[in-house]
Amino acid sequence: MNNSEKFQEALKQLSDAYAAQLPEKFRNMMLTLDALPQNQWDEEGFQTLYRMVHSLSGSSKTFGFPALGDAARTLEHHLKMLGEAKRALSSTQRDQVYEQLAALNQLAIRQEHADADLAGTVSAESAVAHASCQVYIVEDESSLAVELKTQLSYFGYDVSVFYALNDFKVAMQQSRDVVVLMDINFPEDPLGGIHVMNEIQRGRATPIPVIFLSAHGEFDIRLEAVRAGGIAYMNKPVNLGVLVDKLDELTSVKAAEADRVLIVDDEVALTDYYAAALEQAGLSVRVANNPLHVLNDLLEFSPDLILIDMYMPECNGMELAKLIRQLDDFIGIPIVFLSAETDMDKQLAAIGMGGDDFLCKPISPQHLVSSVTSRIRRSQLLRSFMVRDSLTGLLNHTAIKDQLAREMARAKRHNKPLSFAMVDIDFFKNVNDSYGHPVGDRVIKSLSRLLKQRLREIDAVGRYGGEEFAVILVDTDGQTAIKVMDTIRHDFSLLRHLAGDIEFSVSFSCGIADMSDYADVSKMADAADRALYQAKHAGRNRVVLADGESTR
Amino acid sequence: MSEKLTRVLYVEDEPDIQVVARLALEMLGGFTVEICSSGSEALEKISGFHPQLILLDVMMPGMDGPTTLVNLRKLPQFAATPVVFMTAKVQPSEVAGYKALGAIAVIPKPFDPMTLAGQISEIWKHSHE
Repeated sequence: MNNSEKFQEALKQLSDAYAAQLPEKFRNMMLTLDALPQNQWDEEGFQTLYRMVHSLSGSSKTFGFPALGDAARTLEHHLKMLGEAKRALSSTQRDQVYEQLAALNQLAIRQEHADADLAGTVSAESAVAHASCQVYIVEDESSLAVELKTQLSYFGYDVSVFYALNDFKVAMQQSRDVVVLMDINFPEDPLGGIHVMNEIQRGRATPIPVIFLSAHGEFDIRLEAVRAGGIAYMNKPVNLGVLVDKLDELTSVKAAEADRVLIVDDEVALTDYYAAALEQAGLSVRVANNPLHVLNDLLEFSPDLILIDMYMPECNGMELAKLIRQLDDFIGIPIVFLSAETDMDKQLAAIGMGGDDFLCKPISPQHLVSSVTSRIRRSQLLRSFMVRDSLTGLLNHTAIKDQLAREMARAKRHNKPLSFAMVDIDFFKNVNDSYGHPVGDRVIKSLSRLLKQRLREIDAVGRYGGEEFAVILVDTDGQTAIKVMDTIRHDFSLLRHLAGDIEFSVSFSCGIADMSDYADVSKMADAADRALYQAKHAGRNRVVLADGESTR
Repeated sequence: MSEKLTRVLYVEDEPDIQVVARLALEMLGGFTVEICSSGSEALEKISGFHPQLILLDVMMPGMDGPTTLVNLRKLPQFAATPVVFMTAKVQPSEVAGYKALGAIAVIPKPFDPMTLAGQISEIWKHSHE
């Protein structure tokens, strides 16, 4: 690392520290404004406020917050004008300043967010933005490029190939939603791919997602790749499965639903403050000021994380954590204690009682938000290992059945219809026997992908076993479910699969059960299974709705 | 004839800016830097440090930059030490005003930490031409 890089590194750390102080600064400014007397001019108090804003406007650009700097400068000029009059602020003037301060605070929070997004891999929003996007392959080795294009089109991607960096640059001038697969080494420049991406990313508000392909894996090249907006780095020969997963991850429309945080704390003012901070960061928050009602909140709100105050009059945080851990549905939920306790031993004891983390009050909103969101991410990842099928990423057998139980209960409560579909690939054994298991796996992945693409986010798709899938169609009656599943069946049967040079196609059969006919989960699943059997028996490649028990 | 610039005194009341400026001047400029938080602190410390160049923030509580400059000039051994003002107000007329006070240059704030040391080296070079 040369001096300039070291300096940038150090500057980055300073900026982070600066950002962490911003909330405190805004609070002090607000307090100073509040403390100004209503009916007489307070030169000293006003100058204190003016100096705070002046120093913010002088420093924020230097620390990489240009928008904040500009807004602070505007406020500084405004205050300067007000100060020249040397008259106590009218309530309108006071409100204006207050609003400007609040706007500054918002800018600071938004900046925090932008940084976090850049640091993380792929945010939900950018994934949404890239849904239905194109893939550009930039690769001078024509055989590899053509191979990738064929394979990816087979997974439903619209692919264009560029053999030369210049052609790619020209195309990028008018391309927006693309994912780029970029080779790093080109004849004219061993890091040509990285250099061109750097050039293209410059001046773009949202970077183009790029996956770098390279025969080398040295750290410094990887680092350069990250700096050029690389979201993944794959060594050649390219593992197609991994590549498709990456692309799916980038292009799939993720759940827009916000993560949910339950705060249990008896201090109303403080919880409101925390709730506001978390909500501003896009989380959904429920506050329980009475720990005795917490069970109700848990069931209704079904949080992703619980923040608990250590000391509350009715029952303390540790007891509450223990109690929550005894509920089957909440064994794995992250619990974070919040307290003014600075005694390390007591903190450790709290963690021993089932807490995952300990945050000391007072905590800055940024710190709170980042602790909470990173906890939620980690627990979701862990959960996904437990409930997801490793090949397809769909819910596994147990998880989809659990989900069916939950959805049935919910549908009954709200008096809404629900359908359950079982899907089985026809003559799948032949695929494996003729073309080998890797080809079979690709067929399974392509069906899983099609199901996910065609069904709504609220529907649940699971891999039930080998070549068998299960689908929960929420708020959907049997007749509608038949239409939906039959369209998917039709399209799947037209998909061309590749095994070497041989093209082939595959179909599936499907059995559907409508909840209005069945009392519980196992009866519903059995009925769908019987309908599937009927579909197979009647010649396969069709969808059959189970006869309700009442009509049998 | 120009000797190499190594010792820089920076008078700045804002702690955040102090940290960045010190880092930028030391790491990127290779200078030895002394930072003072006020004009009066600068007047106390300057004899011990013996800067070749002084950076002065214009707007500081208590003794502002221009006043600090006037007081520095009263010290015989610093009567001719080059002074650079750092300020957000960079109307041409104001720049002229600062130069009339004896500053050799004005660096606008907010400064870019990546180029600050380079700017100062340039100013130093010009002042010896």
